[in-house]
Amino acid sequence: MDPAERIQAASSFLLQAPPGEINDVLNDVRAVISDDDSLQDGVLPALREYNLTQFTTVDVPGVEHQTIVSEIARISSEEEGEERYLDPRSKTSFRFDHLSLEATDPQPTESDEESEPLREALEKATQLYLSAHYHDGVAAVFSHAGENRFTIQVVANKYNPNNYWSGRWRSQYVVNFNENKVEGFILVHVHYYEQGNVQLTTSHKLFLTLPQTAVTSSPQQTASKILAQIESEEGKYQVSLNDAYQEMGEKTFKGLRRALPMTRQKLDWDKVLGYKLGAELSASKGGGFGSAI
Amino acid sequence: MGDIVDSMLDLMRRLPPTRVEENVQALIDICPDYADDLLGSVDQPLQLRTDRATGRDYLACDYNRDGESYRSPWSNEYEPPLDDGTTPSPKLRKLEITANEAFDTYREMYFEGGVSSVYLWDLDDGGFAGVILLKKVMNPTNNDEPAGTWDSIHVFEASERGRQAHYKLTSTIMLQLVTRQNSDESGDGSLSAQAKEKLGSWKRNGEVTLGGSMTRQIEQDWPLQDSSSHVSNTGRMVEDMEIKMRNLLQEVYFNKTRDIVYDLRSVDDLEKARRQRELQKELVGFIKR
Repeated sequence: MDPAERIQAASSFLLQAPPGEINDVLNDVRAVISDDDSLQDGVLPALREYNLTQFTTVDVPGVEHQTIVSEIARISSEEEGEERYLDPRSKTSFRFDHLSLEATDPQPTESDEESEPLREALEKATQLYLSAHYHDGVAAVFSHAGENRFTIQVVANKYNPNNYWSGRWRSQYVVNFNENKVEGFILVHVHYYEQGNVQLTTSHKLFLTLPQTAVTSSPQQTASKILAQIESEEGKYQVSLNDAYQEMGEKTFKGLRRALPMTRQKLDWDKVLGYKLGAELSASKGGGFGSAI
Repeated sequence: MGDIVDSMLDLMRRLPPTRVEENVQALIDICPDYADDLLGSVDQPLQLRTDRATGRDYLACDYNRDGESYRSPWSNEYEPPLDDGTTPSPKLRKLEITANEAFDTYREMYFEGGVSSVYLWDLDDGGFAGVILLKKVMNPTNNDEPAGTWDSIHVFEASERGRQAHYKLTSTIMLQLVTRQNSDESGDGSLSAQAKEKLGSWKRNGEVTLGGSMTRQIEQDWPLQDSSSHVSNTGRMVEDMEIKMRNLLQEVYFNKTRDIVYDLRSVDDLEKARRQRELQKELVGFIKR
């Protein structure tokens, strides 16, 4: 395998890392590739992609809250001088180190005056929703200036390596006021690895046509109505997972292997062997050739 | 050197079980020298093959592989054919035939379908070892039905000690379940057009995948009457182990992973619960006064 292919394989491993285990995967990959120099620069694009798609949370310098690093939060690229991300809540932009996961060089930014009232209203409603239904959630609400569109991102992580499990819930909703539509997704990833490796992955796409009454002249009312829709829909989704579990448990799991045979008893192994011997004997008798050699 | 294999195994314990074959291949491509270590220690989904001589299906894995060929437990032949393929000694082959028949009965009783295969091989110290494989696949009849795959890999070592035999059994069960979810509230006839406009309408589609493997080990002594006792002894051990592991899988797959989802998000309003707790505290304080 040439060095480029090795980096490609290493990158693929990193992108598959379960929640909270990116450093463990990186350590394993370092040991397997055993060429730190080419690895360090080579896998940076994969680490960056992982951080952006997994809604990595970061402490914003100078404020008391966390925000989400994602493609939508990115406001400038390396080609434009430097890559910077936005915390819309504190209206701060920052640089982000994709290896150390630290934000640096905070700078104040100006927000789009026209869309800011609605964005702020959506942000407040989202934060309320977050504290009502998430244990350790982080959310960010972005405005797409001039497009009458907003993106709400939510992420919740729980890492419990001492008990060999971790989990992540990501959801995103793009609210489009031109078409009165919301398009979103929910992605859940759970890893349980005590004497094994069991993973739950779910992907869910959502499309909502906003009710006429949801869009009002008051940003606060509009925001709380939209978040009420999201709250009800995410609740429904979480409950529907139970139905999926029920169906997989009742139909598939039981259909794959019974808990006990139809007889409701464990096998009588002496008989299992005896029956087979008996069947063999009668088969050879029937053939009339004695024991087959 | 051992460190690299440890890192590979740790990696396989973390990466998605649904992609185990692709990831094992990538690791072998990176470190061809460790191919045997890796193939010997990472369980992969069993491959279904058909024995040309008997027409019966059998299961292929690293334990019945010689080069690029796999040995069928029914005809003892390699496919593609090998002139000098490794086969068990005649005495052990006889036991292997008995074991295949017995576990075929076991498979029918518990799996009511699927395929089983047993492979035995001689060990240098005079004992022998073997693997008991079981696989069942459920394909959905329509798109909304869940699909599932069960793979059991029971590897054991047997050593005879007079009228007793000592067994060391390592069991891995790989289980994968996939279900699709679709719903369209606007297609629901129970709502009038006006109601839909008033309430808004959702469309959703998604997929839930539960996949993985669990491994357990056990050592036991069992009495030995004749050589076929090995089949009933390992049979009882495998049966008990699968019953235990089936319960464990049920617990981890259906309860543990759901509990973790509920640790991330709560269906009930946490703020309301918090307020209620505070109110209760206040009341208790009030009564105490």
